[in-house]
Amino acid sequence: MLRSCTAALRTLRALRGRREGAFPAARDPVLARRWFSTEKVIPKDHALPNPSWSKDLRLLFDQFMKKCEDGSWERLPSYKNSKLVKEQLSQAQLFTRGYEDGLGFEYVIFYNDDEKRTVCLFQGGPYLQGVPGFLHGGAIATMIDATVGMCAAIPGGIVMTANLNINFKRPIPLCSVVVINSQLDKIEGRKLFLSCNVRSADEKILYSEATGLFIKLDPEKSLI
Amino acid sequence: MIRRGLRVAARLGHHGALPGGPYILPTFSPASAFGSSMDSLESEFCQEKTDLKNYALPNASWCPDMLNLYHEFLEKTKADGWIRLPSFKSNRNHIQGLKLPLVLTVSSDKSDCHIFTRCIKTEGQGYEYVIFFHPSKKKSVCLFQPGPYLEGPRGFAHGGSLAAMIDETFSKTAYLAGEGLFTLNLNTRFKNLIRMGSLAVLNVGVEKVEDQKLYISCVAQSTDQQTVYAKASGTFLQLQLEEDSSQYYTLCLQESLLPTALPTGTHPRAAGGVREVTVPAEAMGEPVYSDVRGLIRKCDCLALGSLYFSPDPPTLPPFAPPHPPPTPLKQGLVHPVGP
Repeated sequence: MLRSCTAALRTLRALRGRREGAFPAARDPVLARRWFSTEKVIPKDHALPNPSWSKDLRLLFDQFMKKCEDGSWERLPSYKNSKLVKEQLSQAQLFTRGYEDGLGFEYVIFYNDDEKRTVCLFQGGPYLQGVPGFLHGGAIATMIDATVGMCAAIPGGIVMTANLNINFKRPIPLCSVVVINSQLDKIEGRKLFLSCNVRSADEKILYSEATGLFIKLDPEKSLI
Repeated sequence: MIRRGLRVAARLGHHGALPGGPYILPTFSPASAFGSSMDSLESEFCQEKTDLKNYALPNASWCPDMLNLYHEFLEKTKADGWIRLPSFKSNRNHIQGLKLPLVLTVSSDKSDCHIFTRCIKTEGQGYEYVIFFHPSKKKSVCLFQPGPYLEGPRGFAHGGSLAAMIDETFSKTAYLAGEGLFTLNLNTRFKNLIRMGSLAVLNVGVEKVEDQKLYISCVAQSTDQQTVYAKASGTFLQLQLEEDSSQYYTLCLQESLLPTALPTGTHPRAAGGVREVTVPAEAMGEPVYSDVRGLIRKCDCLALGSLYFSPDPPTLPPFAPPHPPPTPLKQGLVHPVGP
């Protein structure tokens, strides 16, 4: 969570600088040196359409990309390994990006800075099954955590999940597309209170509702 | 002699899986949920005589803490009433011969589905876990070791992976303790991060059961119990699985309706939201038709009820037996196909 937050924050600052939407490192040489690995491999942005994306997901993606044109919304790129390759001694990778295309989590997160909310378009693949034919509760909990976490990280910087309370209203069929909307409700000191709902692509079915409490971390202190 | 099977298509009647209207669930009858049926639930679930791969066994990636505790609990399975739960690739393997109530059946039936916590196959990279369950105390213990593919903050497990592990342990415990099937609520309070490759011990217990709901809670802590990683509570909906009688139906047709064997490959199957049933042409005459209807009533009442009695699928799940058809079978709903 933290690693994806720091990567996203770096991207946000770069994106805020220019609204045209070109690759963030292209115009900033300092950022380019830090962004690219020593082997000069361009990390793959997973938050872009691939062949496994269903029609519904592509349609929603296009709708939101249109909203990005006037600058009110931004798409968040998403990388499997966010840090510099020099540190990649372990095989670790971001939990939600460790699957082949279409089998696990297929998602893209958009955020709106003015309204302090994030929207995640999510398609759960066959490797996320719980009860046969439906998405695993833990998989949707992971996506809610990722979306709400991103919503908290924008105003809050480096944050950590303290509490996540999810009410499941209906089971989500496997391989269907859902829209996860998250918004910031209030900030009290280091505490951020957020809420979220999970709806079907046409917004007619409410699958889940959740509330979350995130804590701003002191970047100087260590995690343990 | 060309055998003509009549393909009868019935729409199961769902956009996605569930009607958009009032969500009416099948009622749960608690009488059958306890007592001796619990033993059969466990034996059905555990599937001891199977050649399915059991992932809940030690492998080279397990840390010493995990191996020690595993052997400790294994000893307890001999005398203290604990059961070690097997863990297969998909929940379907755990419930062979059973299925969800028809109103909750979905169209996507890909065989390549994996349960979320067993999809990372490389040993030690994803979820390494084993669950021990105590039937009479309605408690379970899960030994969980997160691997590098579950990373969130550098060097630590993603919060979502712990939530998923808690949900998975809840779900197995809730099912075996009281046929809890769907998570209604999951409340997780994260206290500390779990270092990757270290062991987390999840102690789960059923708090109470009332109103078709099962309340369950968990504390996830380190081996020495000095660090609490998270506390969680959950609510599960009790729902009984039904017998999967589709094979029985084919058998019935073969044995009692036909003088000769059915063409090979004709069996009820569901694909893309449409359930196809091949009924031999001989069955379409009046005397045999009543037999077919009687047979069908035993099995998929809902799906085939919608076929015979109205061209439009029902919007609410009717669990009452189907009424006599107002029109003969052949009108508008039957598409004869060649062999």
